[in-house]
Amino acid sequence: MHHFGTLTIGARRVEPFVKDPFRVAVIGNPNSGKTSLFNLLTGLQQKVGNFPGVTVERKTGHLIFPGGKSIELTDLPGTYSVYPTSEDERLVVQTLTDARNTDYPDAVLYVADTTRLEKHLLLFTQVKDMGFPMILALNMSDTAHAEGLEINLERLSRKLGVQAVAVSGRTGEGVDQLKQILTDLSRQAQEGIPEQSVYRLSQEEARLATELQDLFPSLTAYQRILLAHHADWLPSLAPSVRTNVLEAIERTGFRDLALQVRETMQRFDYFTPIVQQNVRKTRDRPYTLTERLDNLLTHRVAGPAIFFLLMLLVFQAIFTLASYPMDWIESGISALSAWTKSVLPPGWLAGLIGDGLLAGLGGVLVFIPQIAILFFLIALLEEVGYMARAAFMFDRLMQAFGLNGRSIVALISGGACAIPAIMSARTISNWKERLITILVTPFISCSARIPVYTVLIAFVVPEKTVLGFFTLQGLAFMGLYLLGIAAALLSALVFKWILRSGGTSYLMLELPPYRPPLMRNVWITVWEKVRSFTMEAGKVILVISMVLWVLASYGPPGAMKNAQAQAEQIAREKGLAPQEAGALAASMEMEASFAGKAGKFIEPVIRPLGFDWKIGIALITSFAAREVFVGAMATIYSISDQEDLLLIRQRMALEHDPLTGKKVYDPPTTWALLIFYVFAMQCMSTLAVVRRETLSWKSPQPRNPATSQPRNLATSQPRNLVTP
Amino acid sequence: MVAVQNSGKPLVKVGVGDTGFVSDFTNDRIAGKLMAMGILPGSAIKVIRRAPFGGGCYIKADNILLALRKDEACTILVR
Repeated sequence: MHHFGTLTIGARRVEPFVKDPFRVAVIGNPNSGKTSLFNLLTGLQQKVGNFPGVTVERKTGHLIFPGGKSIELTDLPGTYSVYPTSEDERLVVQTLTDARNTDYPDAVLYVADTTRLEKHLLLFTQVKDMGFPMILALNMSDTAHAEGLEINLERLSRKLGVQAVAVSGRTGEGVDQLKQILTDLSRQAQEGIPEQSVYRLSQEEARLATELQDLFPSLTAYQRILLAHHADWLPSLAPSVRTNVLEAIERTGFRDLALQVRETMQRFDYFTPIVQQNVRKTRDRPYTLTERLDNLLTHRVAGPAIFFLLMLLVFQAIFTLASYPMDWIESGISALSAWTKSVLPPGWLAGLIGDGLLAGLGGVLVFIPQIAILFFLIALLEEVGYMARAAFMFDRLMQAFGLNGRSIVALISGGACAIPAIMSARTISNWKERLITILVTPFISCSARIPVYTVLIAFVVPEKTVLGFFTLQGLAFMGLYLLGIAAALLSALVFKWILRSGGTSYLMLELPPYRPPLMRNVWITVWEKVRSFTMEAGKVILVISMVLWVLASYGPPGAMKNAQAQAEQIAREKGLAPQEAGALAASMEMEASFAGKAGKFIEPVIRPLGFDWKIGIALITSFAAREVFVGAMATIYSISDQEDLLLIRQRMALEHDPLTGKKVYDPPTTWALLIFYVFAMQCMSTLAVVRRETLSWKSPQPRNPATSQPRNLATSQPRNLVTP
Repeated sequence: MVAVQNSGKPLVKVGVGDTGFVSDFTNDRIAGKLMAMGILPGSAIKVIRRAPFGGGCYIKADNILLALRKDEACTILVR
């Protein structure tokens, strides 16, 4: 047994520390407004990454105070309890039970929705029993006020044994006070504060906790119990340790499900009276507005119809609203490119910068408006609470395809980018549903395909307005998206038959009350996504455009000269005008270059689709990222371009076979290319994420018999859960 | 409350607009999650509507709104 001075059983041994940074985990139930508060505390100073080993998004931000020490806040996924049912919820348990984890917090900021405090304190008491110094943020104080709730803050704090502060992530009320409390907490040398554990361990649990004490001396008894509950999946346990834990479970006769129910009841029994005594309802005001809206928005017929109309509007908006800023960006880049070429001495440097770098860069930047609009609308729908309704309405339909209602969120986000969409599948608890979601999401046309679609649709679909409102091009765009959706659903159906079923599947989804969107949250999402698109895709595209420029401008020794001579000869024979002769020479030189050789190499395969070797080059390079297609096209055509037509769309529209004079982008070829991009292999980053996400999972193994037999309450002892 | 033989009917049998009081759960795993979300024995559940495409139901328990699948709603016994 380990005793360190003032240490008592319930509390962790905490060294008197002055840690820098002082790590604070932000924890709370889903819909507690945790992320709004986090955004308010950290603003744009957030770093978005992944938790090690998994692709659950990890957001951290810093609070820096005069005096130099910083507080690092980490936003953990929302969960209802420390008994997770999905991958992102598991992360909370994983972080809080592994003292060697780099994210193991020095303190916890617990965020609860004041208007539903009687539901939101379960997890609070669980985290408290893990011995972390805590702050309780009673969020949504503005709504609580509007609903006529009166809270005795001081007495609530005392009863719960925590410093509580009323805050609002919406109005910013109480945030300064919260920051002050966080600073004070980080400055105090923490001592092992003797804590009374809320939960009274059962006999089996107490025995088990004692048995595990030598293995995990720095953890509290409750943390040890949680390790036992989750011993079969916790990645922090080394194989030998896991065996020891499982043996201890066998010896003590620990049964997890029944004990979990017992624990939950005991905790509710503890805090329900505290909440009742300290939160007074002065009037009764349930979510009448939400319920009235839902009468329409989740209506059996009108609901899905409204959903499809919304999606149609989203895609119309992408197409029409974005065209103005796109034009500005395009002409800006053209002007810059022309200016560069006029300033720099003619030669390879002017070519590399003007035709390689700037052309490629333009290909990326021009699509930022569309991506921003798509993410803006998705974030807006999420923020007002509509996405949960979509998941609810389509759950049954999704199940028919082997998916989950939550998959709809992944599928819609897939319209922006497959990578965060695949990550969002982590909220799906069932292995098979999650796997299928991940595998089919890349079929949804992502925003990186917008550039390709935009350019190509413009060739084949006239700019016409139908029904006074919809543009024909917008409808064609929507059609391509629908094709992707159909492909996703059909392949989901195939996977549903092939894969064996894995584990329990849940919907059980809380439908948050509709709230006016908090624009700060929306902007932060848009900013983050646009930034990562520009940085991540931009880097790849820049490098590829420059490499491509070199490959397309140079060829094997002699080959380029040869091509030039040949072109001159043909021009003489056919008596071409000087301008046509120049275009022919440029085209033949490109054909002789390294890039041309590569394009020629795959041409036999793509020829039946009507694609020439130039398209071949773009296809190869677009494996790096979808939108590279346009950048690559821009680079290829700027090099072979004689007239300095700087807009890529115009260049491609004018492109014709120099010998036959036939247009390259005629309708059949263009449609073939469009459909190719609907179905084509995913970009490298998507493949990498799919691999990372699926490699770590095997189909669920039968779990340890000591911990997992599905038991029925009817057969296990607490038949009646309410203690008399 | 005391244990009784007949614990009530599954929630799916409750008509739209009607309210039942949770008496028991028939599946521990689902019960664990429902309880963590605040649906406890004794909680009042009002069935607000059924989902499109013949799916689950939309319920209100105290002051939370919840979407449940049909088979999840089957494991909640109400009176």
